[in-house]
Amino acid sequence: MPLKTGERDRCATGLEGLDTILYGGIPRSNTVLLTGSCGTGKTSLALEFLIHGAQKGENSLFVSVTENSEKLLANIIPYKFFDKSLIKSGRLVFVDLPIMYERLGMTKAELSMEEIDLLVAAISDLVTELGTKRLVIDSITSVCYKLKTSEKIRDFILKLGKSLSDLNCTTILVGEVSAESTSYSSFGVEEAIADGIVLMANMERRGDLLRTLQVIKMRGTMHSRAKYVLDLTPMGVLLVPLLKGGSTA
Amino acid sequence: MTLDQMGPQKIAAELSEMPPASAISLQMSVDNYLDVIRGVLDLFANKKGMDTIYVTATISSEAIKRVLQALDIDTSRIYFVDCISHIMMGASAAQQDDHTTLVESPTMLENLMLKVEYLIRRSQSKDKLVVIDSINSLAIHNNNWILSEFLHILVSGLRSREAFTIILSVEEHSTPEINNMVNLVCDHGIRAGKEG
Ligand SMILES: Nc1ncnc2c1ncn2[C@@H]1O[C@H](COP(=O)(O)OP(=O)(O)OP(=O)(O)O)[C@@H](O)[C@H]1O
Ligand SMILES: [Mg+2]
Repeated sequence: MPLKTGERDRCATGLEGLDTILYGGIPRSNTVLLTGSCGTGKTSLALEFLIHGAQKGENSLFVSVTENSEKLLANIIPYKFFDKSLIKSGRLVFVDLPIMYERLGMTKAELSMEEIDLLVAAISDLVTELGTKRLVIDSITSVCYKLKTSEKIRDFILKLGKSLSDLNCTTILVGEVSAESTSYSSFGVEEAIADGIVLMANMERRGDLLRTLQVIKMRGTMHSRAKYVLDLTPMGVLLVPLLKGGSTA
Repeated sequence: MTLDQMGPQKIAAELSEMPPASAISLQMSVDNYLDVIRGVLDLFANKKGMDTIYVTATISSEAIKRVLQALDIDTSRIYFVDCISHIMMGASAAQQDDHTTLVESPTMLENLMLKVEYLIRRSQSKDKLVVIDSINSLAIHNNNWILSEFLHILVSGLRSREAFTIILSVEEHSTPEINNMVNLVCDHGIRAGKEG
């Protein structure tokens, strides 16, 4: 494929505030690590990214690892713009990874190198078959627990990222870190391989608890590095800049 | 200094002169609050069919609703962002309704902006008005640095959404710093109080 010079094509997330932070959206075919401690809104944000994509006619796929997708859908924020017909029409597809493991015969607690290749191939085949343009894996941390070593994790994410990028699929890998963690990922390798890192966190200020979002890196575009405060609402995620004047007061 | 305070008709008439998406500083005195309320909410916003988002950091939204009822003002298009009921009276999320959103405290300026943004997005109305009541109340809970940053972000955001913004200040409680801060972000000023 001939490389265009200058601006890369964008996958506008449809989350207005995030697209502004990213000067238009995620560079298409990037693999982005969306990371944060529990309850910071990762799943909601990732889901919204897919819903907006599906609405624009981009086939979207949610690979659920931790929760089963039926339960996930039952708990979804009542978005004013979400229409179940997106699921019926196949624009938005949910797949439970444990079921895929089973079909692939991956029953052991730890995957072998061959099984990693098999898993990457299975996900890529699914993306090809569905014509997926937006993919979410929630969470990649849970997949990594089955890989155990950093070599295997590196190998898996590199191969998966390469394969999805070749398919022109823009991917969000949801990562889970503990609130005290100074690293952006549980195993320390995910963050180095990903093309982008979006960090979600809880922040306490003068006794108030705020939810924050910050883009740490994003290959292929300029972006704001400032911290934003977010609210998860039925109109979607809303973002405003964190006010600095009082952050130390 | 004159003692002629502006009446509600005059206030509404001045507001109607302003171009759309204006940010207005409206200075009042402690004793013409009711005239200002009537002028802004009834004779201006309701008459023009605007949705109003009323941010209160001064008195509870319940109290304002009672005032509006007493003045016989239609509240069906007025949505409250109440920053005071929770810290003053421990009001809980359960007391929220379609017309009332609580912000835990007037120090949570980001959340205040987020609630305003949410209501703006949810509104189907073509014209929208946001009222901040008042900058002096917010100044009790926040330092001038953060307040000034807040005003800039809020007003520029509302301008880009083509909403009309009115920032209320009370002349008896104001300081030159606060007046400066407001004047810096506003396109026009109306003096409805005694110092008019
Ligand atoms: N249906 C809903 N209605 C209102 N708010 C919701 C709803 N679902 C989630 N939330 C809010 O969003 C928050 C975070 O949800 P979300 O599941 O997206 O976070 P997460 O980072 O994926 O959490 P986890 O680490 O548990 O996976 C919840 O704690 C809740 O405050
Ligand atoms: Mg989650």
